[in-house]
Amino acid sequence: MDITLVLSALKVVGYGLGAIGPGIGIGIACYGCCVATARQPELQGRLFTNFIIGAALAEALALIGLVVAFIM
Amino acid sequence: MNPLETLAAEATHLQHSFDPTTVFSIGDFGVSQYMVYMVICLALTLIVVLVAAKKLTLVPKNKFINTVEYGYEFVKKDMGEGAIGHGYKKHIPFLATLFFFILISNFVGLIPGSKTPTGTISVTWALAAISFVYFNYWGIKAHGGWGYIKSIAPSGLPKVMVPVIWFFEFISLVLRVLTLAVRLYGNMFAGHMVLGIFALATSVFIQAGIQGDFLMFLPPVGWMALLIAMYALECLVAFLQAYVFTTLSAVYIGLATGEH
Repeated sequence: MDITLVLSALKVVGYGLGAIGPGIGIGIACYGCCVATARQPELQGRLFTNFIIGAALAEALALIGLVVAFIM
Repeated sequence: MNPLETLAAEATHLQHSFDPTTVFSIGDFGVSQYMVYMVICLALTLIVVLVAAKKLTLVPKNKFINTVEYGYEFVKKDMGEGAIGHGYKKHIPFLATLFFFILISNFVGLIPGSKTPTGTISVTWALAAISFVYFNYWGIKAHGGWGYIKSIAPSGLPKVMVPVIWFFEFISLVLRVLTLAVRLYGNMFAGHMVLGIFALATSVFIQAGIQGDFLMFLPPVGWMALLIAMYALECLVAFLQAYVFTTLSAVYIGLATGEH
């Protein structure tokens, strides 16, 4: 089998593995934001801002995985 | 021929169509198609905002001007006031510029046949670098040079932990420029790639349907439906990414200038 094909396939698999954690993390963050907004709709703006910060921090891991998959 | 094999062969052409190519060059300086579209989007943003600003009235009657004003108010209320807090007013012009430029760039890219300037990493790097320099500048202005360096670590930590936490916070500070750039680029590039694949699949399977029997016309209909669904999703993503980029810039400004 062609070695470069295997390598590029492994990169995609590695990125997929790296995206599992951030996916779960953003899901939990979104769940928390939705539940909190349902309980106190008047705080929606600040809750959503906090959700965006948390999602950005979690998403950073997946983005680093994407960059590594591109440059390796 | 098997349509799936044709699709795999055509996919590499699709991939190469995203590479920047020189359209024309000024001296040694080559201008790629993305740069051409970036200038077009910049001109569009200018036209939209300047036309709206010229006809500004106290009670908006024109629908177009009302929309632009609503967008500005949206940036002011949702992003500025919500994320920066105290002293947000002087940052609104910067945030609104970012928001309108990225929004118009993303939507211009959705017109079939055109390229999105934010779908190339160089443009998003430039935007992220502008945002990075901006919030560091205001952070240094608010705290002073040494004060800003100290304020990277949150206050109230035990003395031993301060260097360790400072180090990690500093890494996350530097990574902000990377994540801002790659988030926008990754979302726009991947979205257009998916749209391209579905459009390609539609045309390849229609060819197979013409050569084959009547039942072979069912797959392209399914691909077309998927393409339209993804297009609707991309419209949402185009707005959402402009929103996320601007909100994160506002949040970073708020973190840099605010008290810890």
